[in-house]
Amino acid sequence: MSVLDNLFVKIAALVRTTLTGLGLGDIWVNLAMVILYLAGILGVMITAALVLVLVERKIAGFIQLRPGPNRVGPWGSLQTVADTIKLLTKEDIIPACADRKVFMLAPVLVLVPTILAFAVIPFGKGMIATDVNIGIFYLIAVSSLATIPFLMAGWSSNNKYSLLGGMRAVAQMVSYEVPMVFSLLGVVMIVGSLQMSAIVEAQSKVWFVLLQPVAFLIYVIAATAECNRAPFDIPEGESELVAGVFTEYTGMKWALFFLAEYANLVLVSAIATTMFLGGWHGPVLPGWFWFFIKTSIMIFFFMWMRWTFPRVRVDHLMHFGWKFLVPLSLANIFITGIGVYLYKTIGW
Amino acid sequence: MYGSGVVKGLALTLKKFFSKKITEQYPEERPFIDHRWRGSLQLDKDACICCNMCVNACPNGVITLESGKDENNKRFLTRYEVNFERCLVCGLCVEACPKQCLKFTREYELATYFRDDVKLGLYHNPKLSAPSSTYAQKTEQKKEG
Amino acid sequence: MRTQEITVNLGPQHPSTHGVFRLVIHLDGEVATGGTSVLGYLHRGLEKLAESRTYPQFIPYTDRLDYLASMSNNLAYVQTVEKLMGIEVPERAEYLRVIFAELQRIASHMVGVGTFVMDLGAVTAVFYPFIHREKILDLFSMTCGGRLTYNYMRIGGLSHDIPEEFLPKLQEFLDYMRTALEEYHQLVTGNEIFLARTKGVGVITKEMAMSYGLSGPNVRASGVCYDVRKAHPYGIYDRFNFNVPVFESGDTFDRYMVRMIEMEESVKIIRQAIKDLPEGPVLGKVPKLIKPPAGEVYHSIENPKGELGFYIVSDGSPKPYRLHIRRPSFVNLGVLEEIIKGWKVADVIAILASLDIVLGEVDG
Repeated sequence: MSVLDNLFVKIAALVRTTLTGLGLGDIWVNLAMVILYLAGILGVMITAALVLVLVERKIAGFIQLRPGPNRVGPWGSLQTVADTIKLLTKEDIIPACADRKVFMLAPVLVLVPTILAFAVIPFGKGMIATDVNIGIFYLIAVSSLATIPFLMAGWSSNNKYSLLGGMRAVAQMVSYEVPMVFSLLGVVMIVGSLQMSAIVEAQSKVWFVLLQPVAFLIYVIAATAECNRAPFDIPEGESELVAGVFTEYTGMKWALFFLAEYANLVLVSAIATTMFLGGWHGPVLPGWFWFFIKTSIMIFFFMWMRWTFPRVRVDHLMHFGWKFLVPLSLANIFITGIGVYLYKTIGW
Repeated sequence: MYGSGVVKGLALTLKKFFSKKITEQYPEERPFIDHRWRGSLQLDKDACICCNMCVNACPNGVITLESGKDENNKRFLTRYEVNFERCLVCGLCVEACPKQCLKFTREYELATYFRDDVKLGLYHNPKLSAPSSTYAQKTEQKKEG
Repeated sequence: MRTQEITVNLGPQHPSTHGVFRLVIHLDGEVATGGTSVLGYLHRGLEKLAESRTYPQFIPYTDRLDYLASMSNNLAYVQTVEKLMGIEVPERAEYLRVIFAELQRIASHMVGVGTFVMDLGAVTAVFYPFIHREKILDLFSMTCGGRLTYNYMRIGGLSHDIPEEFLPKLQEFLDYMRTALEEYHQLVTGNEIFLARTKGVGVITKEMAMSYGLSGPNVRASGVCYDVRKAHPYGIYDRFNFNVPVFESGDTFDRYMVRMIEMEESVKIIRQAIKDLPEGPVLGKVPKLIKPPAGEVYHSIENPKGELGFYIVSDGSPKPYRLHIRRPSFVNLGVLEEIIKGWKVADVIAILASLDIVLGEVDG
């Protein structure tokens, strides 16, 4: 069992010893390991995105009493491959009056924060690229950067729909950053550490979703808004803004936005798993598999929401964020503070 | 309670997620086509008396009928063409036919690769002019009373 | 800070303009300060076409007006010609006409509410009504062989009698409708996001509704109890017992609710019609060549979208001298420019969808 449990850690250790055995210096070994981790994260991310596109369409289909894509490959499994080939071979159109540099840079930049954020996600026991002691702080800081590429895309497209979409994206992501951070603070207060591995370790007995149900709820809502998914998909707002910030993007540029959206979905689900659902803790099965299961459940929940609700209007979104979620998350922090204080002084 | 509507909606979609899917897998699964289906047209050219009723009934004038006379002064068809491009598929021609030799078939896959193929040559095309084809419409009493 | 209004061209290629409608809106940030609707992209000149068609030949063209309610359009047209010529319609045909018109109302409202909720962003909510509508289309295609353009009504009756298996299937469908509507209420009507998006949005006051000449669900949502079926009963509608839902506030939510309740009422009417359905012919005594006497006639019926009226001037020839159609979608659309002022872009779309227009009818 422990072999399976530590499978990836063992592999990493094996590579490290092999590289050291080859007589490479410490710096080079470390560099090689970083590249390996990066490749691993990118591999996980891109595979996840490709699979999730299909899964999302399947879930949408099932909810709408359709079988979803089922023509390309068994159970439609090669649909994404076909779509990718189609997107790769599409003509790449840049609008005549677009700001070319910014227009081309935006889809590349949109992926960066997500990839950076994956560095501190503990996929299993010991399976964390860099276990920095300010893990959550780093995560929040990095993921706030995701706002900028959206504004860049919206601004540079020189299209009114895109511009509106970009403005909406900024307003939404900045507003929902606040309750999201506050909801995570509750967890941090209980653990007393910002380190991701410490947070998971602290949940070995009881998951924080039981201690912090309100924070979990706030997190789920804010995270949906953070990754621009329905019912908070107003930057895209298909029925109003055609495709919002993505209106002018074609081919692979558009696909990069798509990839980023799904990578973000995996990221927020992984954070939810780490912070509230006990991370890789779980009986019998290996830790990384538990992490996979929990993340999948979270992803399913996000998709299930998307295919059920109408879209929230932009001002309702702001009202809800600032007048409801922020006070609620502050109250949650306050109550958590009292609880933690009582726990420490009385020793419940 | 605030939020109960959201939960109810989620419950419904989850129920639907697990219920039976209703999509018809078209090329493999053929849809059931009703007997009165207005699909392609078919002409029993031997029964046609060239009365021009269908031509006059057509709102768009898509039917071209040409006839000749034989030695008994009986009319026979020489050409019968329906320009399906502009056909409304309203069925007024079928209703107008006094001999009921013009009928709808239950053929519904009418897409063609070439524009010329859209025209239905009901006289020249043996598939369309046969008295009864595989898709032949069940003969029905069109008007009661 | 000086801000500038931007002009956004919504349509004619836009996912939510229900066809080829174009709306030029002026935006102050997200808020619409005004707009101009531009029509005519689907204009086919049906009224002019009618002048070169004989009276029966125009029936299939009425299918193409409001293509979501072809049966009702057929009904309005043939009843107008019957009124002009004084043709008696057999009892059975009258009852069947009511059944089909009400089924069509349900089908049209299904699309109306479905696309309305879809324009609010709930994609799943459009699939369920379409599934229910599909069952109605099956009933229609079983009877007249068409799924969208039926061309079923004839001057003096109907083209076909119903097939044997129709009534059991219809009964099955009516029983199914109850759960279908309940499910839809569960999915959409109670949803807090939906309520926030629709309540109080795009209010049409009673005065405004009347002065713009709105009709159908749109006027009944504004507190005006006007339903042609009750106000000027046509056909045999005076024999049925049904309610006309009237809501007071005139917002998008009320327009949605009127449609939901009307579907229930239509089910009621159909049940009564099935119970009393007599035997007999479905096509009355009609001259071979339809040649109405010289004169003019106006007749209107309650279409799913509103009051559909046909005005025919006859010069005694087999072709109408002049035909004019009072197209409810076109009239209802008039109020749009007035009520979108001050609402967000997202609301403009919702308001447009709540008016439930069909461009085939708007452009004629």
